[in-house]
Amino acid sequence: MNLLKKIFLPLGLLALVAANVHAQTKELVVGSSATYRPFAYENPAKEIVGYDVDIIKAVAQKAGLQIKIVNTPWTGIFAALNNGDVDLVISGVTINEKRKQSYDFTAPYFEARQLIGVHKDSTAKGLKDLAGKKVGVVTGSTGDDIASREFGKTSPDIKRFESTPVAISELANSGVDAVIGDNGVIAFRVQEHKQLKTVSDPNFPKEYFGIVVKQGNKALLDKLNAGLAAIKADGTYAKIYKTWFQSDAPALPAQ
Amino acid sequence: MEPILWFGWFRADIIAEYGVMFWRGLQMTILVTTICIMQGTALGLAIGLARLADARHSPARQICRYLLRWPSTVYVSFFRGTPLFVQILLIHFAVLPLFINPADGLLISGETARSLKQNYGAFISGILALTLNSGAYISEIFRAGIQSIDRGQIEASRSLGLSFARTMTHVVLPQAFRRMLPPLGNNAIALLKDSSLISAIGLAELAYTARTVAGAYSRYWEPYLSISFMYWTLTLGLAWAVKKLEARYGRGDTR
Repeated sequence: MNLLKKIFLPLGLLALVAANVHAQTKELVVGSSATYRPFAYENPAKEIVGYDVDIIKAVAQKAGLQIKIVNTPWTGIFAALNNGDVDLVISGVTINEKRKQSYDFTAPYFEARQLIGVHKDSTAKGLKDLAGKKVGVVTGSTGDDIASREFGKTSPDIKRFESTPVAISELANSGVDAVIGDNGVIAFRVQEHKQLKTVSDPNFPKEYFGIVVKQGNKALLDKLNAGLAAIKADGTYAKIYKTWFQSDAPALPAQ
Repeated sequence: MEPILWFGWFRADIIAEYGVMFWRGLQMTILVTTICIMQGTALGLAIGLARLADARHSPARQICRYLLRWPSTVYVSFFRGTPLFVQILLIHFAVLPLFINPADGLLISGETARSLKQNYGAFISGILALTLNSGAYISEIFRAGIQSIDRGQIEASRSLGLSFARTMTHVVLPQAFRRMLPPLGNNAIALLKDSSLISAIGLAELAYTARTVAGAYSRYWEPYLSISFMYWTLTLGLAWAVKKLEARYGRGDTR
């Protein structure tokens, strides 16, 4: 008995100390798909940079969290969150009802609209004019949702790609007639090709990007929300927005 | 649609909802594989023969070396030495737009090019990349098969007055083909599975369908398990066909 105590007591103490140290320095893994310029992309030095990255770094600093950003492909990003490979996701994720059923979102950090990219000679004014045309989208994105709802989920006219740059390349090569995607990225990509222009459909609803955590991870969600509120209050947010989008940040709803 | 659960966790309704797409995807996978096996075998035979081309006297000797052996060696080296995925992207986004382009296509331009690209762009690129790639591998199978036939057979046949072409078609290739069947079958199975890579450029085959479903529902078991079984069934069928062929062509070996 005495011997057992001698062995187990120090072991137990050690475990306690280890757990404590672990909790304090535990690095949170942030998943972000770095093919989403200007939100998140790899610069030539292999660092992941962008608007999302600056936002999450500022939030983490205010909330006192240690983070490590890991480039996670968009197609597997929610699976990575589900199985614990990443603790949170900031990757231009649109907050919607369907996703809210499976994940928890912070307050918005970006106002997103869907935007259509087309050739300059196109006469399309909105989504309705794209009926019967080939439409490129990113698999599982909001653009995919919109196109699927309008033209049918299994419509062969919808062409799905891994990322917006690939879809835009296909558009530039006339492989599709239009690409539907998030405003920030579409606008950035379209100005790289002189034969393309953007079309804004007034019927597309305003949407917001939020940071995603696993459903029920309230402790982390609260910390992130507090950090986000802090950077919005002290002007850090407005500064980051201006750096990446060359315009003033629009007012965002609190939730 | 109401969720239908199989074994308590498999959402069969999702697969049913996208049933049309799975069916069309399956057809596309079979079509692409069939075309590529046939074209790849023809190309492989040509390249394999080119790699073995030799002649005793000039200028035929130089022609064989510089116009047949060297180019075919470089070709095989390139297509075996670079990833198929890279070849697909290279052909679709760089090579094909050079030749088929509405603005300034070298081969086809204008409205024809636009409709061709939109309806068959990914199909053409995918077939091209897969054919060129498998042609390189199959040429090695042909070369090995031909070289495995004893030189004495060729000498005897030439002594009997058969031309080189007839020696090949009547003496060497029938025997070589028997030995080449197992590796050719292997290659066909690899080709069937490699066709999934074409989904990256938006060809609606099986893997593309699974990606679409996974993107729409953030569920991975259902779509990927389903197509795994489809691929497995297809490869089993191929393996069976190869076995039958081996039995058919192996009859000459059994005494």
